[in-house]
Amino acid sequence: MRLLAALLFSAQLVAGCGSAPPQGASEPINYRLKWLFNASVVGDLYAEAEGLFAAEGLQVTVKAGGPEKDAIKELELGHAQFGVASADQVIRALAKGSPVVVIAQLFQQNPLQWIYRPDRSRFQTPEDFRGKTVGVTFGGNDETIMKALMAEGGLGEDDLTLFSVRYDYTPFYEGRVDLWPVYRNAQGVIIGDKLRRAGEAAAFFDPAAAGVRFVANSVVTTRAILEEHPQTVQKFLTALLEGWRRALDPANAERVLAMIQEHDRDTAPPLLREQLEITRRLVRPDAEARIGRIDAAAWKQTEEIMLAQNLIPAAVNVTASLVSP
Amino acid sequence: MLPKRIYQFVVIYLAALGGLLAIKLVFALSDYVIPSPADLWQTARTVFNRYLGDVLDTLAVAIVGHVLAIALATVVAIIGRLTNWVGALIKVAAYNLQAYPIVAVAPIIFILLGDGLASRLLIAAMICYFPLLLSFIGIFAEPVADIEHFYTMTGRMRWQLEVKIRAFENNAKLITVTAGSATLAMVGTIVAEFFGANAGIGYSLRIALYQSDMAKVLVALFLIGIFTSLYLALLERIGLWLQHKLLLPKGRAL
Repeated sequence: MRLLAALLFSAQLVAGCGSAPPQGASEPINYRLKWLFNASVVGDLYAEAEGLFAAEGLQVTVKAGGPEKDAIKELELGHAQFGVASADQVIRALAKGSPVVVIAQLFQQNPLQWIYRPDRSRFQTPEDFRGKTVGVTFGGNDETIMKALMAEGGLGEDDLTLFSVRYDYTPFYEGRVDLWPVYRNAQGVIIGDKLRRAGEAAAFFDPAAAGVRFVANSVVTTRAILEEHPQTVQKFLTALLEGWRRALDPANAERVLAMIQEHDRDTAPPLLREQLEITRRLVRPDAEARIGRIDAAAWKQTEEIMLAQNLIPAAVNVTASLVSP
Repeated sequence: MLPKRIYQFVVIYLAALGGLLAIKLVFALSDYVIPSPADLWQTARTVFNRYLGDVLDTLAVAIVGHVLAIALATVVAIIGRLTNWVGALIKVAAYNLQAYPIVAVAPIIFILLGDGLASRLLIAAMICYFPLLLSFIGIFAEPVADIEHFYTMTGRMRWQLEVKIRAFENNAKLITVTAGSATLAMVGTIVAEFFGANAGIGYSLRIALYQSDMAKVLVALFLIGIFTSLYLALLERIGLWLQHKLLLPKGRAL
């Protein structure tokens, strides 16, 4: 009897877990982002603020992400119906049997790059890392990308020093670390500005330039939602991608900057402008590129990199989970 | 006492694990959200030895940090028991300082001291120090009137004697608080490692969370629980031994 009561209590605790996906226009939809509100989620915020979701008959709440928030887990638990996840998260989830599908790829180029001082060393190819101290977040996707770069450059663990990166940038400012991982359109701008104000120059090493195209943030949902509510998915995506298109349109820049400033009060307006400009290039590298396009070849390469580094036990055939509704 | 502590922890851990697996089953969640028993077993086999080393590393830091905190809290509480302005200042500082969240202070410590042993020790000591200090101040500032009166009236009261009397009369409380703060020392060390260190089980937990690997987290939690229980049991045993020694009449001891 007590066991039954405990089970009932547990069930109450998780009430809502795996709840049914939205049935109609009036059903609330949660959209869980990967990170906090800043310039890198400008399109998501714009779609909500300008009523683009509402125009499609959807009641969407855009929720900020964070270091310990995982959109894929929230999808499975029914706390969110759509989310943003990095490619490595998607592939790890697929490897564990998660029913996640990718419906759009927000960044055509991965914003994760390495900042360095060009007056001290030049980093143009992975071979240039030899003998240097390179920052990585152990366990993070920057570690995976750096190891792929090392493999690309024929470098072993003994050829360079990997430095464990955390929240503070002091080791980089002090010059103890030559390369430091940053999101080019977020911290990259802020740290670059700090170096400039200290009379130093900043440059960035882009892994894509060395042939490592590791996919970044993408929009995900569950296969059940996709199959059972294709119209909702279509409407959501239409509103979201239109939000991104309008947010990145230079004609709307002033309105967009004012909107981001409301969410990100700690970043100075000139830096926000620079962040927006870089985000524009990463999401839409050329005017012809369609926003949200899924780069299947890059996904395949991402899976191969993770497989080579034993981050997944076996191939997951990620391309089967890339869906453009 | 030792097997009882371990037994209690294992029962609680298995109950929690059973609850998680029931949720997984009821809501058909994938191994990505909650690992299956097979996944958990496989992960345990893979990381057990490494995590065991990490937990022992963390426990060693936690013990040293705890001892430091006890020593510091004792010294400050002895000064804080005074009824003059120094005592009042110490008490106010103790109450105010504990209001600062360690998560806000930890990054400053790591910037100043780096990510080595010193930072981990300091944060571990800080987290278990404040509850110890508040209890110690309370105990040492509270006169044991019926005993102290005699020494005060006969002019034999000195500060060392005052401290001894109050410690002796409240030794059960002191032992309880000290054992209780041991858990905080372990938590403090793990928090420190999670935020900035590059060693210990907290650091391994951070990596596991980056990789959304719940199986690794569950294995780490199991080991942390076992070793924290062991440490608590050890402290309680030392406390009982001390109590026994202190309460035993001198004649009988001889």
